[in-house]
Amino acid sequence: MINFEEELKKFHPSTEVEEIQDDIYNRSATDIAGVFEQMFVRKEEVQQQQEQMIGG
Amino acid sequence: MVCYQCGCQLSEQDYCTSCGADVSLYKKIICLSNHYYNEGLEKAKVRDLTGAIDSLEHSLKYYSRNVEARNLLGLVYYEIGESTEAMSEWILSMNVEPKKNIASDYIQRIQNNPSRYDVIRQTMKKFNQALSYCQQGSKDLAVIQLKKVLSLSPRFIKAHLLLALLHIDNEDWEKARRELNKTLAIDRGNTQALLYMQEVDKMLAPDDIEKNDKKRKKEETVRYQSDNEVIIQPANLAEGTRGGLATILNVFIGLVLGAAAMYFLVLPANRKAAQDEAQERVESIAGQLDSKTNQIQQLENQVKALEAAKAQLEADLDVYEGNEGKLKEMDQLFVAASTYLSTKDVSQTAERLDHVRETIKIEETSEEFQSLYNSLLALIGPELAQTYRDSGYVSFRNKDYGSAIESYSKAVYYDPNNADALLELGDAYRMNEDSVNAVTIYNRVIELFPESDTARRAKQWLHDYSEGDAE
Repeated sequence: MINFEEELKKFHPSTEVEEIQDDIYNRSATDIAGVFEQMFVRKEEVQQQQEQMIGG
Repeated sequence: MVCYQCGCQLSEQDYCTSCGADVSLYKKIICLSNHYYNEGLEKAKVRDLTGAIDSLEHSLKYYSRNVEARNLLGLVYYEIGESTEAMSEWILSMNVEPKKNIASDYIQRIQNNPSRYDVIRQTMKKFNQALSYCQQGSKDLAVIQLKKVLSLSPRFIKAHLLLALLHIDNEDWEKARRELNKTLAIDRGNTQALLYMQEVDKMLAPDDIEKNDKKRKKEETVRYQSDNEVIIQPANLAEGTRGGLATILNVFIGLVLGAAAMYFLVLPANRKAAQDEAQERVESIAGQLDSKTNQIQQLENQVKALEAAKAQLEADLDVYEGNEGKLKEMDQLFVAASTYLSTKDVSQTAERLDHVRETIKIEETSEEFQSLYNSLLALIGPELAQTYRDSGYVSFRNKDYGSAIESYSKAVYYDPNNADALLELGDAYRMNEDSVNAVTIYNRVIELFPESDTARRAKQWLHDYSEGDAE
């Protein structure tokens, strides 16, 4: 049996036209490719630090 | 596919041929994103729009700069009535790929159509209002609002689903099924709609109805065993065996219910009918009263108009009847005419005519009045003029030039063709040392009677006067 109150919770207000800009700004732009790029950059930084330490 | 580090085009190798970066994992991520995009496209083609949205969102989770996936996601959102979500996706797509992007075309098509843009705005506002009504428990208002939303945007899935849910809650299964069918015609894979449809089907299933009927029939019968036989008997008959007390009780309850029905249903209905009748009568009387009031108002207006007309007529009558009225003037003229006809006395007639001329302006009287006056004047004019001329001559001889001027003026008035009287009037002015009037009169003589002796005399005098003036 469907519970009206429970089902009603699944409905959310629609984004209004005036709110489109805020909606876009509030979206998380993080994707797996982005995470990978950050990981690569981080890895490069760590390698450079290690090389500097060995060289020092 | 380009390298995430240097931006160069990647080859089949697992490393970038330009910068040497390891791109094996990166290429797998992009491939996964493309795979989900293809899956979303396939689902969209068979109208499994919910599945398509799911796949495309997965695709964008892997690679958010997948422009094709984002554009398709926007298109699917637009198809299910989520226009603002669609616009958000297309704007994001434009940010990633500003040139040669079909998303710009989609956005322009909406923005260049103000009515469509307004419909989208109204749809979202009204849907949110309907959802708010639901949350507040105003379900009837929510249904009305959702119907408005769907009249604006018939493909708005979320509104169809919410309306179906409200119908289910109201146990209006047929209406709920209708909404769900509309939803599934747009989006075949909508899990929420499928779930609701399952519930609706269960409630409307014919097997269940039959089962319910059988159960009800079973309840309406009484089974008991008598010796070796099972006797099935309707429940109503079974009650008959309980005795007369139950029957009396039932009759009593029936009477009470009848009385209650009479009190609560019939009497209020009669009272309502009487009130309605009274109300109708009051309205009828009020209508008649309005009509009478209008008639009275019209009659009052007519009375005012008639009073104004009467006042005007009375004023006109006063003009004719007053001491100096037109009738009085007519009387004076008639008296003058009567005097002349009966006595032929020119001087008396002249006095009457003088009185008429002094009291009224002849040129403002009627044509008939002027005609009679002029006729009378023509009859007595020359004779009267001669009388005044004689009188003027006597005054002139006695050097009473003022009286002479007065007499000659009357003579000229009563006989304008009398050139001698006009010249003598000029002489009287001259002797009275009124050169201006004397010159005017002499000039008039010359103008009116140019070839006469009188004119020559007038010219001579003017000549003398001008020479004397020059000296």
